[in-house]
Amino acid sequence: MNGFVIALKSELFIARNTFSSKFILFAPAAFAILQSLLTWLTEVGTSTRNNLMSNSNFDDIVNLNAYGHFVDGMSTGLTILSLLVVAQAAYSFSYDRDTGIVRHILIRRASRPALILAKLFQINLLAITSIAILMITSYLISGFLWEFGAIIEDGFELISEEEILAEISMGLKLAIVPLPAAIAFGLFVSTIAQSATQAITTALGITLAIDIFKSMLGSYADYLYARFQPSLIDASYLQDVSRIVRGYSDVLVNADVLQLNLWAPLPAFVIFVGLTIFSIKRKNI
Amino acid sequence: MDINDNEIALTVKGLNKSYGSHDVLKNLDLELKKGAVLGLVGLNGSGKTTTIECLLGLQSANSGLISLLTFSPQSLCEANGKVIGVFDTPSLHPNLTVHQSLEHAALLCEKIVRTPQQVETLLGIERFSKFKIRNLSLGNKRRASIAHALLGGPDLIILDEPFNGLDAGGVDDVLELIRYLNQQEGTSFLLSSHQLPYLENICSHVAILHHGKICVNGAIDTLLSDTGLTIKLRTSNESAAMTVVNSSNKIEILSSDSEGYINLSLSDMNSAELNRLLVENQVAVDELIVKTPSLTDLFREITSENSA
Repeated sequence: MNGFVIALKSELFIARNTFSSKFILFAPAAFAILQSLLTWLTEVGTSTRNNLMSNSNFDDIVNLNAYGHFVDGMSTGLTILSLLVVAQAAYSFSYDRDTGIVRHILIRRASRPALILAKLFQINLLAITSIAILMITSYLISGFLWEFGAIIEDGFELISEEEILAEISMGLKLAIVPLPAAIAFGLFVSTIAQSATQAITTALGITLAIDIFKSMLGSYADYLYARFQPSLIDASYLQDVSRIVRGYSDVLVNADVLQLNLWAPLPAFVIFVGLTIFSIKRKNI
Repeated sequence: MDINDNEIALTVKGLNKSYGSHDVLKNLDLELKKGAVLGLVGLNGSGKTTTIECLLGLQSANSGLISLLTFSPQSLCEANGKVIGVFDTPSLHPNLTVHQSLEHAALLCEKIVRTPQQVETLLGIERFSKFKIRNLSLGNKRRASIAHALLGGPDLIILDEPFNGLDAGGVDDVLELIRYLNQQEGTSFLLSSHQLPYLENICSHVAILHHGKICVNGAIDTLLSDTGLTIKLRTSNESAAMTVVNSSNKIEILSSDSEGYINLSLSDMNSAELNRLLVENQVAVDELIVKTPSLTDLFREITSENSA
């Protein structure tokens, strides 16, 4: 791939020196912190009222456990992140074309496919780093405000800490798997749009439209990568994990859907990358 | 002509490009020898920018053969920065500072022959080093984008409208820089511009693009010497002067204006010989102005001929 390393260095240089990448790195963590603080404030009020009225129920026990809040923070952060990376991917190439920056790198050192793959790699790297920051931040704030531990009711362990960690690990894996496909979709829109503004509105518009209409598609939605992303109308497995780690036993887990969650984003990713390279090779720049 | 000729920096043969049914470039041929400065001139919409974009592989041509230092437009990235384009709009990241922008350009160079600081000084933009590109004036953006091109010591620089937005001092600096790079480092240049006096000042060769075709192509000196001398003559005895002029087949009357001037074109005759001819025929010459042919005159002549 001609000039991939140079193109990647160029992308990383611009990312290091511009605001949008820093925003993507830290905004999901900031939202997770904000959510945890608001939840904590609400719970402190509710708990105080219940103590004064000598009421105690299962929800109070559950709410004191940090794992549920950690998952909620992750879910919120990943929702924000998935929208941000789609927007960033849609913006990346189209903005470079609008401003003409892309011309320098194409003329000097990198082929068009190398440039696109470098952008893809860089945005995925950004997403992974952002997830790591989100995970650390969410874990620390949850641990600071609540306590990590097994769910115990009346001296009986409903769910052990090992089981909770295994579910969280599975939930996060399944929530992260669709992200590269979402990024590749944004990049594809970026190459076919006429301007950066059009690319961002189109990519976010389609992502949100899928979110809204996925329930209407029934089981067909299971073949869409976007069905498994944490989103505004969340149908991801992470949403189920949030209840499982709180000890609720009313969660129905369909093993086939989990398998589709794991594998459906892969062909979507390959198709979008292929379409993006096909499109970029024919585009006037 | 051998397309891989070592003495040729740029060759274009039979280049065709159309937008839908509109043919922009029609069988265009162009050649730039190494170490030459070629000016590509044409009216608005004549296809200069399209030609440059096809040369640099930013647009695909319908047909034709292009070679830049033996590289095709599609494999230009393999030239490792030996061919550089500077565009009519400053193509720099608006959110980077001038210095960051030059560091970014340095990343794209295989080898650096000048540091970012050196090119900042060379273009006189060192005091704007920490300014974001978006906060610069158009002229300084233009300087920064030219500075971009100089880090790696390219062998061929293609400049589209390099004088746009520059003040008189800026134009002088850029002309001086082109001259220096051309003479001291042997850099070849293809310049596209409307500013014909500047091109005449700097270019060794010129190609006039009109209606998608190269109408005139050659060394400026040769092209201008082929264009006959133009003389403005004022005399108190106009009718006698006309009689003398009409009797010579080396003189053509172009026009006469309301201020009493007769505009003449001379071929195989110089102004002194015309003066002698008039005086010998008892015509008193009040004023005789020799107008040296310029690129602007040649351009006007070519574009009006082809429009007619």
